Amino acid sequence: MTHWTDGLDDEVEEPLVRPYTITRGRTVPDRDDLTLITVVTTVPRPGDEAPDLRGLQPEHRVVLELCREPKAVAEIAAGLDLPVSVTKILLGDLIGSGRVTARPPLALDSESGSIDMTILEAVRNGLRKL
Amino acid sequence: MGSGSSDLAAGAAPQAMKILIAGGFGVGKTTMVDAVSEVAPLRTEEYLTRASVGVDDLEGILDKSTTTVALDFGRITISSELVVYLFGTPGQERFWFMWNDLVHGALGAVVLVDTRRLDVSFASIDFFESRGIPFVVGVNCFHGVRDRTGDEVRAALDLDPHVPLVLSDVRERTASRDLLLTLVDHLMAPAAA
Repeated sequence: MTHWTDGLDDEVEEPLVRPYTITRGRTVPDRDDLTLITVVTTVPRPGDEAPDLRGLQPEHRVVLELCREPKAVAEIAAGLDLPVSVTKILLGDLIGSGRVTARPPLALDSESGSIDMTILEAVRNGLRKL
Repeated sequence: MGSGSSDLAAGAAPQAMKILIAGGFGVGKTTMVDAVSEVAPLRTEEYLTRASVGVDDLEGILDKSTTTVALDFGRITISSELVVYLFGTPGQERFWFMWNDLVHGALGAVVLVDTRRLDVSFASIDFFESRGIPFVVGVNCFHGVRDRTGDEVRAALDLDPHVPLVLSDVRERTASRDLLLTLVDHLMAPAAA
């Protein structure tokens, strides 16, 4: 029989507790459609209306700030210094309350697994300019 | 207002694609990301649980239900509508192979190999072959020694004839960019479709 606290001493450097405290104990996102490269954008407030920050934690506010320019989930996780799965839970909150929008990545063709030629052409031209 | 304005905002965001930069430990994955990314490479982490990595292959970490893997990534903005993210795959291969969010939907991959240690990249090549993900091989000659010809490396890797193989030096921006271009050309070639 092992007890759940066994081995916790060894993991001081990587505390699992704190990140999930930020999510109030949730370890699974409400939505499973967020990917590493889903692009998230903060919904602008009309005019000079003050942002409605009720019920938000500091990490949520950081996300709103970061995503004034569109950012991928991986970039947001790096900016928050939180694991991707924790970040997705926080993003789910903000999407649910309509504070951010999420754009899914370009879908590959389900049959061929390939992508639109015109898009590949654009990528090729973009890379050549590097 | 509500739903209408969020649709508008979504339309303003670029769509993203990703390319994986793979290969064994120390072959230059982060160096390549650094060479072509428009931002300094970012680092992010993910917890992979027993459920997501499967329980068969966890010898040695049996008392740990979760492991942390880190990856470095960068970005290339193609246009206001298109962004390419480059993900250098984490060192612990047996974990990222199971990281579906990382692998799923990738446009393709660049597998880097080091001629002194070809074996460390075998697993990546096997992986992309078995998953049907298009890839090209970059032979990283960053130690300045081209001690093997492309054909020798191709034979040693037992590489499919249609998979492009390029001698490269990923410290150079243009060399890294050319590797990505080789991948895009490969994706556009009829054989890859």
